[in-house]
Amino acid sequence: MAQALLSSANVMARWIDFSRRLLAGLAFAFAASSLAFAQAPEKSVRETIAAAAIAPTPAEQREIILSLKLKPTPETVTWFENWKSGKIFLYDDAGVVTPVILTGKADDDESFATLKLADDTPYTTADGKPVRINPKTVQFAETDSGLRKAMKEVSDIVALANPDLAKRLRAIQDAAVGQKVEKLPALLVLKTTEKNPKALKALEESIAIIQLRSPVAEERLAACEKLGKLNSLAAHDTIMTIRAEAENSGDTAMANAAKSALRAIDDHLSRINAVGTLFHGLSSGSVLLVVAIGLAITFGLMGIINMAHGEFIAVGAYTTYIIQKIFTTGLNISPFGMSMSIPGMNLSETNRGWYFVVAIPASFIIAALVGVLLERLVIQYLYKRPLESLLATWGISLVMQQILKFIFGSNNVEFTSPLWLSGNWTVNDIVFGWNRVFVIGFAVLIIVVTWLVLNRTSLGLLIRAVMQNRNMAACMGIRTERVNTMTFAFGCGLAGLAGAFLSQIANVNPAMGQVWIVDSFMTVVVGGVGNIMGTVISATGIGVSDQTLQQYLGNPVIGKILVLGAIILFLQWRPAGLFVTRSRSLD
Amino acid sequence: MNKQPLTSRVQFPLLIFSAVFLVVIMPVLNAYGCISDFTLGNWGKYLCYGILAISIDLLWGYTGLLCLGQALFFTLGGYMMGMHLMRMIGGTGVPTFLSMVGRQEWPSFFMPFTSFPFAMLMVILVPGLLALVFGYLAFRSRIKGVYFSILTQALTYGAALLFFRNELLMGGNNGFTDFRMLLGYSLRDVSTKRGLYVVTAMLLVAVVAGCKWLTNSRFGLIQRAIRDSENRVLFSGYATANFKLFIFVISAIIASLAGALFVPQVGIINPSEMETGKSLEAVVWVALGGRGTIVGPIAGAISVNALKSWASSGSTADFWPLMLGGSFVLVVLFMPKGIMGIPGQIGDLIAKFSRKTASSDAPPPASADTSQEAEILSSTASPASDS
Repeated sequence: MAQALLSSANVMARWIDFSRRLLAGLAFAFAASSLAFAQAPEKSVRETIAAAAIAPTPAEQREIILSLKLKPTPETVTWFENWKSGKIFLYDDAGVVTPVILTGKADDDESFATLKLADDTPYTTADGKPVRINPKTVQFAETDSGLRKAMKEVSDIVALANPDLAKRLRAIQDAAVGQKVEKLPALLVLKTTEKNPKALKALEESIAIIQLRSPVAEERLAACEKLGKLNSLAAHDTIMTIRAEAENSGDTAMANAAKSALRAIDDHLSRINAVGTLFHGLSSGSVLLVVAIGLAITFGLMGIINMAHGEFIAVGAYTTYIIQKIFTTGLNISPFGMSMSIPGMNLSETNRGWYFVVAIPASFIIAALVGVLLERLVIQYLYKRPLESLLATWGISLVMQQILKFIFGSNNVEFTSPLWLSGNWTVNDIVFGWNRVFVIGFAVLIIVVTWLVLNRTSLGLLIRAVMQNRNMAACMGIRTERVNTMTFAFGCGLAGLAGAFLSQIANVNPAMGQVWIVDSFMTVVVGGVGNIMGTVISATGIGVSDQTLQQYLGNPVIGKILVLGAIILFLQWRPAGLFVTRSRSLD
Repeated sequence: MNKQPLTSRVQFPLLIFSAVFLVVIMPVLNAYGCISDFTLGNWGKYLCYGILAISIDLLWGYTGLLCLGQALFFTLGGYMMGMHLMRMIGGTGVPTFLSMVGRQEWPSFFMPFTSFPFAMLMVILVPGLLALVFGYLAFRSRIKGVYFSILTQALTYGAALLFFRNELLMGGNNGFTDFRMLLGYSLRDVSTKRGLYVVTAMLLVAVVAGCKWLTNSRFGLIQRAIRDSENRVLFSGYATANFKLFIFVISAIIASLAGALFVPQVGIINPSEMETGKSLEAVVWVALGGRGTIVGPIAGAISVNALKSWASSGSTADFWPLMLGGSFVLVVLFMPKGIMGIPGQIGDLIAKFSRKTASSDAPPPASADTSQEAEILSSTASPASDS
C-alpha cells in the first residue's frame, strides 16, 4: 500500500504538473494565435467581429457576438481583447463606417497605415490611395456592459473548446472544480456542438457535478444519479460532501441518491484498481522476465551459476548511457586516472529520443562481447564444476562492479526517457503508462526471438544438442567449445538488453544488478531449469503475485518475503520447477 | 587424499601448538604488552570468522552442500546476544530504535533476554530451529546442489529484508549498538576484551576438536560418501536427508555461536551482516583456505581478513574488491584445494617434472590425455559443422 500510495502521490504530482503546464500551454496558444493572425487570418471570425462592430444597436451587436459561440476559436478572444482595449477603429468615410485596425509605425503626423478588420487588406479610398489615420482623431469601437458580458460568455466557451483534445478534456474537467454555477452555460452550449465521445462524457460529468449545487432539487437528484451512472471518479469527493450535507439536513432522497452513486463509483474504482494491479503485476513480471531470460540460458541451459549476471545488466545499462551521451552532449570519463572524452552529436530534443533504438542492439552486442571474453578466460574451465562456477563468477561480479565504479563513479547516472516512452494511454479511467506497455511488449518480443533462435535456427539446434549432452554432441562433430561460447554470449547479451531496458525504469549504478540477482535465480528455479516457457510463466506469476500482495498488505517488504516463502513451499511440491526436463539419467 | 604418514604425524603437534598459542600465549603476551589490544581485538574477530568458516566447510567441504545462508545464522546468533546486551545497558526509558517507532516500553519478547542463560539458549535454539525447519523442507524434497545454494541465498535475502524494517523492533537499519555490560563486566575494560578473546579461541579449539572427531567417525564417513555420491548412499539404505539435516543444524548452531561471540567484541550488530555478499565472502575464505580440511577454512578466514583490514584502509580501499574478486577467480581456477592444497600441487609438479626429465618418450600424464582427446574431437568436428 505504501508503494501504491507513493504511486498515487506520483500521479497526483504529475496531474498537478500537467495542469500547470496546460495553463501555460493555453496562455501560449493565445499568444501564438495573436501573433499568427497577421499571417494567416481566419476570415470568418474577423468578418463577424467587423459586422458586430458596426451593427447599429447594442442588441444586434450582442446577437452577432453570441453567434461566435458556435465556432469557438482562440482568435475570437484576441479580437475581443483588441476591441475592449480600443484597438478597433471605426473609420467614417462619408457615412460608410468601416472597422479598421492600425498597422506599421507612426509617421510624423502620428498617423498609421490601416487594415480592414474584415479581411486584413489595406484600407484604401475609392481611387486606391491607402488611408492613414491618426488614432487620436478617429473614434474607436466601444463596448458596453451587455456586450462585454456576451464576450465573456463566448470567451468561456473558447477556453473550454481548445482544438487539442487533451487540453480540451482538461479544461472541461477543470471547469467543474469549485462547482461554479456561472460556468454551466458555457458547458451546456459546448455540449451541443461537441462531437468527440470522450469530451462529451467529460462535459456531462462536469455539468452534473456543477448541477449538484443546483437550486432545483430534481436537478440535483438527476445529477447525482447521472454521476453514478457515469462512474465519475472526479465527483467522488463532492458526492461524499453532498451526502454528509444531505444527512445533516435530513434530505433522505438526496442522501440515498448520493449513497447509490457512491456505491457505483466505488465499484468502478475497485474494478480499476484490480485491472491496474494486474497490469502493474504483468509489467513487473515482464521486467523480471527480461532480467531472468538471460539467466535461463546461462544457468538454465548451460548450468553456469552466473553470479555476474547482474553486472552484465549493468554493462547493458551503461552502454545505453554512453549512447545517450553520444546523442546529446558527449561524455567525459576518467577511468583509472586516464581522461577520456567522447564527443556528442548534440541532436535536437525530438531526435535524441532515438538513442534508445540504437542502444538496444548496442547493449546486446557489448554485453555479448564481454560474455565471450569471460567465457574464454574463465567459464570454459568450469563446465563440470557448477558450484565453483558460482564462486568464480561471484569474484568476477566484484571485479566488474569495481571497474564500473572506476569508470562511471558509484552514483546513479541520469537518463532522459525518449518522448515516445513517456505519457500514457487511458482506457475507461485505467491508466496504462507507455513505458509499462513498452515493457510488456519488449518482454514478449524477447521471448519470441529467444524461442525462435533456440528452436528454429541451426545455432539453436546446436545449442540444445550441446546442452543436452556435451560429449555426445562432440562425438557428432559439433564444435562444442564454440557453441558454449556463443550460448554464453547470447545469455549475456540478453542480460545486456535487460540493462538497456532497466535504464528507463530503474536507477542505474554499478551495483544495480545485485537487486535482481536473487529474484532472477528464483524465477529460473521455479520455472524449471532448461525451459524458456517455464521461465515465462514463473516470471509472470511471481510478478503478479508480488504486486497483488503488495497492494493487499500495503507493504512491499512483507509481500516480497511472503513470495520467497511461497517459492520455498512451491519447491516442496515441485522440486524441479514448473517444467521438468525428463531424463532417465540419475545425476 | 593420499596423506603421507609423516604429515599427519607432524600435523597433530602443530595443531596442539596452535591451540596453545591462540588460547594461552596470545592473551599472555597481550597482558604483558607485547601484543596491542587492537591486534588482539582484531584476532578475536578473525577467530569468530574462522568458526563461521568451519561451519561452512562442514557443509560444503564435507557434505557437498554449499550453503549461502551461513551469514544469516551468524547474524541471528549475534542478534540474540545483542538483545541480551541491549537489556544490560540499563538506565531509564527505551533505546532510540524503539522510541523511533513510537514504543515507550520494551516489547514483551525482549524481557526474557535479561537472563544470560536464556539468551544463550536462544543463540542455540533460534538458528537451530530455523535450520531444522528449512533443512527439513529442503532435504525432504531432495533440493540439492546449486538449488540448495540459491534457496539458502533467498532465505538470507528475505531475512535481511525483514531485519531492515524498523517495525520488526530489532533496530532496523542501525541494528543494536552501544553495548555496555556483559555478565557484570564492562565491555570497555581491556580485561573483558581479553576474556572474550580467550572464550572465542577456546570455542574455536573446541569446534576444531569436535569437527575432527565428527568427520573421522562413522558419521563423517557417510557424510563424505553423501558428498561424493548421494544416490549410492541412498540406495545403500541410508536416509541421507536425515544426515544432511543433522549436519545442517549443527553447522547453523556453530555459526550462531560465532556470531554471538562476535557481537560483544565489535560492539555492533546490524542487518548488513546478513546481506548475500557476506555469505559468499565467507565461502571465499573456505575456498581459499582449502575445503574438506578443518584447518584450511580457519587459515583462509584469518588470512583474507588480515589482508582485508590491511588493504581496505587508505588508498588501496578501492582496489580491495578487485583483489578479493580476482584472487577468488584465480583460486577457483588454479588452486581447487586452496592453501592447504599447495604442498600437494607443488609435489605433483615436481613429480611431473622429474618424470619428464627421466624419460622424454614416456606416455604423457593423465591430464594431458584429455586435452589431446578434445583436440582430436574438435579437429574431426570442423568439417561437419562447416557444412
